[in-house]
Amino acid sequence: MKPHHPDTTTLMEFSAGNLSDPHALCIRLHLDKCAECCSRVETLDSLGAVLMESQPKSELSADMFDSILSRIDSDEIIEGGSVGAAAKGSERISPLAKLLGDDLNSLPWKRQLGDVSVLDITDRFPGQQEQVVLQKLAAGGKAPSHTHRGEETTIVLQGAFADQKGVFNQWDFVVLNQEDDHKPVAVGCEDCITLSVLSAPVKLTGMFGRMLNPFIR
Amino acid sequence: MSTLDQKPARAEGRKDPWSQLLEKVGKNQDREAYHALFQHFGPQIKYYAMANGMANHAEELVQEVFVSIWRRSCLYDWKKAAASTWIFTIARNQRIDMLRKMQRTSAEMPVETEDLWQIPGEHENEPVTSLHRLMSERRVRDSLRHLPEEQVTVIAKVYMESKSHQMVADELNIPLGTVKSRVRLALNKLKVILQDQNV
Repeated sequence: MKPHHPDTTTLMEFSAGNLSDPHALCIRLHLDKCAECCSRVETLDSLGAVLMESQPKSELSADMFDSILSRIDSDEIIEGGSVGAAAKGSERISPLAKLLGDDLNSLPWKRQLGDVSVLDITDRFPGQQEQVVLQKLAAGGKAPSHTHRGEETTIVLQGAFADQKGVFNQWDFVVLNQEDDHKPVAVGCEDCITLSVLSAPVKLTGMFGRMLNPFIR
Repeated sequence: MSTLDQKPARAEGRKDPWSQLLEKVGKNQDREAYHALFQHFGPQIKYYAMANGMANHAEELVQEVFVSIWRRSCLYDWKKAAASTWIFTIARNQRIDMLRKMQRTSAEMPVETEDLWQIPGEHENEPVTSLHRLMSERRVRDSLRHLPEEQVTVIAKVYMESKSHQMVADELNIPLGTVKSRVRLALNKLKVILQDQNV
């Protein structure tokens, strides 16, 4: 599909609820700003509903509805009879803000080399297989040339970067794999910050590769 | 259930009978309507849980989904999604939640399931008009009917059994490339719908 947007098959896996939390976070952040992909996900959610309806049905225990009723009755006593009070009252905070606070620039970045800083946030997603890292490329800065072992899903959180595939602006989505040897440059006057989910560590190919290996553990 | 016998869909045009029942639950806490939804969707959700390998928790999931339907029904807006789509997204989220709770170590997750997977209509960053949404649901149903069985089988495994493309390939004993091309062919039909929508 189009570059800068998630592939439709990935959106399907999202709609089916099959993606890991960090991967789903990348999709969510993109969806919040992309009406087109949102509309795709809505259609895919309907596909889920239609598929569920077309599958066999499993018989329920006879007393189940009664136990549900007694649960909602006890809810109403606690909540003073207002249905959905909890749901209504909650104002939505971006999952990014929940995870990282409001100021990405003031995070405890670890300077790697020259223009690149990283922050590993894998431990914010307990029990996940993938590595989750924030990367920051200083305005106008260049990252060392590198390829990717396995697959790297990235979303731009701030600023923009350019490589041979084009310019990636805020909330653009990109998936890189073994075949992509790229050398991103931060464009514009802001530092470029990205969130990446790595299925395997990045392999550096440039002259700094051996010295650095910032993403390899 | 008299509400169903009268085929309310005809009376109100685009609104399907399940969406009307769900609206009654939301507006009037109508327990008869709630029961009708339970009888229709409960067995589907139980099957969904079992297909997902949650046989020991299948009824627990159905219960969580219905309690959630009751609590959220006041937020339901038929213009945003058909009841079936809305209920599917709740079932999906409750499944994810339940798995998270079962797998969770002591650490608390800062981001909750619903921060990532939303229920249609609960967030107002949704610019697509209601007419498009309703058309899309109807057309998904129609286009699914015309898909070859082998394509339906593959996407059903992704949705109903939470299988990755690789797992589907292993199970059906076909190459990964074949699974992917079946998914793409199926989604291409749906994509046509989306392109129409965006005009």
